[in-house]
Amino acid sequence: MNCEACQLKELEVESFEIREVLRCILHTIVFHRALGLIRPKDVDLELFEITYVQCGEIEVEKKIDEKIEQLITWIDKHPNKKCQICLSFYEVKTKQPSWFTNKIERSYWEQWHISLNVLLPTKPPIGKSHHSKLVVDPGEESEERSSRRTLLEQSLQEVLFQIIKFVNEKKDHVPPINDGVIYCPFEITFPSASDSTFGMDMLKRMLHSGSHPSMLS
Amino acid sequence: MNRSSSNSEGPKAEQIIFEFFAKSLHIILESRTPFMSSRNFSGDQMLCSPCSSSSSSSSVRPRDKWFNLALRECPAELESFDIGRRSSVEPLVVDVVLVVVGGEQDETKNEQVIERWLVQYDNRRVKEAAAASASSSGSSSNRRSSSNNKLQVMYKKATLLLRSLFVMVRLLPAYKIFRELNSSGQICKFKLVPKVPTIVEPFTRREEAEMQKFAFTPVDTICGRLYMSVLYRSLSDVSCQHSSPVSPTFITDYVGSPLADPLKRFPSLPLSYGSPPLLSFQRRHSWSFDRYKASPPPSVSCSPSPTRSDSQALVRRLPDIPTGRRKESYVEECFPSQEFSPPCSPSGHVDAAVSRGITRTESAPVRIPAPSFESKQNLVAPSPRLKLLRQASLKPVRNSGAAESGAGLEKLFLYGREDFRRSSGVRLSTNSSPRISLSRSSSRSYQDDIDDTDFPCPFDVEYDEITDPSSRPGSFDQRGDIHEPPLDSSGGSYPKKSQDAAVGALVNMLKKAPPLRQDISESSVPEIYWNNNNKTGLGQEIAAASSMTASGIGLAAKTTADAMEELRSYKEMKNVLLSQSTMGSSSVTATTPFDVTES
Repeated sequence: MNCEACQLKELEVESFEIREVLRCILHTIVFHRALGLIRPKDVDLELFEITYVQCGEIEVEKKIDEKIEQLITWIDKHPNKKCQICLSFYEVKTKQPSWFTNKIERSYWEQWHISLNVLLPTKPPIGKSHHSKLVVDPGEESEERSSRRTLLEQSLQEVLFQIIKFVNEKKDHVPPINDGVIYCPFEITFPSASDSTFGMDMLKRMLHSGSHPSMLS
Repeated sequence: MNRSSSNSEGPKAEQIIFEFFAKSLHIILESRTPFMSSRNFSGDQMLCSPCSSSSSSSSVRPRDKWFNLALRECPAELESFDIGRRSSVEPLVVDVVLVVVGGEQDETKNEQVIERWLVQYDNRRVKEAAAASASSSGSSSNRRSSSNNKLQVMYKKATLLLRSLFVMVRLLPAYKIFRELNSSGQICKFKLVPKVPTIVEPFTRREEAEMQKFAFTPVDTICGRLYMSVLYRSLSDVSCQHSSPVSPTFITDYVGSPLADPLKRFPSLPLSYGSPPLLSFQRRHSWSFDRYKASPPPSVSCSPSPTRSDSQALVRRLPDIPTGRRKESYVEECFPSQEFSPPCSPSGHVDAAVSRGITRTESAPVRIPAPSFESKQNLVAPSPRLKLLRQASLKPVRNSGAAESGAGLEKLFLYGREDFRRSSGVRLSTNSSPRISLSRSSSRSYQDDIDDTDFPCPFDVEYDEITDPSSRPGSFDQRGDIHEPPLDSSGGSYPKKSQDAAVGALVNMLKKAPPLRQDISESSVPEIYWNNNNKTGLGQEIAAASSMTASGIGLAAKTTADAMEELRSYKEMKNVLLSQSTMGSSSVTATTPFDVTES
């Protein structure tokens, strides 16, 4: 079976917006892949005028929330970094047990790549407001933030439209509906410290901050 | 074999297609029909009584199982759809119309189609599929499995499409309007009306250009193809202005209010007071003071409470009475309250009584109170003053400050004229009891009126004036003049013929009372209030009345002159009538106050 992949549009978010944005995107995708009998649940975003749909399964909600919290923790430790979240749907195939393996093989048939560019909050230098050129007028800052928020809302809507289009265009690769299966099993992954890009990220941090590199997470 | 397989597939496919249409309609209506259902399904006890007999929210309704999507309430439109679509697979069009509430008469200008959903099944491929299946070779079992597989694939794809539809309806601008309408506490100037038109009017090119389109990927079926698309307007194109939450305001133009009744006002009497008093003034009982509305209604919010404002206005206005600058429209408001104390008032009862009467005008025909209502003995005592007020009121009030004090009486008197005629009749009869009632048509004896102090009667004072011993028909009869009632008259019970005389006098006054616009010189004063033989006393009383308003003294004097003139005319009339009555039968009912002596 082919593994279809969809790269969603990159979103620029602030740290406090990550949770809502990710919940919206992840639940929308999972809802499209919850082909069992479900009772959909509408959820309003607090930061944006968007209503997304959850499949209504508590397990799904828990799993997504856990992953989001892990991601936020990771982002806090790795600030100013682009984040790639991967939502993968798979089928469970049990291999024939052998002497050494009794592995349950996962056959991924779809992957969704969510790109987040986490922005650092802009703060005026402490104690240097009357000298620094980086002083930001509170009014301008709020205007800038609101415009950025508006853009983010539009981008998020575009991402949701993108999801709908992809789901509509690609249907053949979706496994058949199995009785008793509410939603297609999935997993959410994001890059960790073990990524190959770790070294480059560390170098960049050293160049910017000039401080000792932080402990590995 | 082919036939058997195709026979089984065909109905199943058709059923899937039909249920697909129904599910699509349900999804669209669910998110476009305001106030239809609660938002979150979990935990809600929403029942779909038209759809199923299920009594539990946790149970799965038969329709929920289709495409594994359990939805909320089943709208009525869906039911009608079910009935209408069982026999055909014609395209389903759902127009979501934005309707402006309270717009123009022309409905087309008030409506705008902001969304048009199109669900269509194209079965042109049926023939191709039939031809392909006929020419295909292979075992029947293979074909059956293949058909089942196709049905499963078709069902799966339809399920995916409906999932997308469920998400899409919540992303479009109309959903925001739907949510706004569902929110509480707001009165919207528009409403969202989903329609399933039987005749679809195509959009114009311009309209289509203004709309955006999203087409779902068609779903291939074994005998056709399912299409779904939507034309929608962006939020900027949709005028979804709604009014702000309604704040508590006071409706002044309620039914029966003076403001709701565009009655004549007296433009010659400009207002000297601000809106709030006027508002309170205008909020008097409609029947009593509607016609004396002297200014445009003020803003709604200027008065905290209609009832309270009236009383407040009364209190506020009282000090203005003596200034004589009161305008006609304020006469009834200015009409006595506790502060209204004519110099010659022997007691304060009148004030209180009159103020009582004024306050009563808010809700019912005013009864001009007088101590006489409570004590017959005192009936006469206040009458001179009331007479003065009365005579003052009969003058063109707009020019008279003194008249203001009694204008309320006059207005009541005038307003009740027609009613009085209807209820009491012009004809006076010894056998009939006068009906001094503005609003009641039932006959009441004068005694009843006297006894029933709560009986709201605008003419009570006049009636009492009329029945005042000094103004009794008897006095006319004796001297042909109207005697001034003695100040210390005991009052007592009034003979019935006084009653008839009073009625007649009243009727005459009503008939002859000049409109308020009349010039002063044309005004007439009921002669019962005038006594040629007691001009001096009358003049004193007039002076006393005029003294109530500092600037009304001159007007009071002028009023007296006019009254005298009128008195002379009445005398002449009386003589004529008397002469006629003596020639006629004694049962002739008097039509003028002068005839009361006969009854």
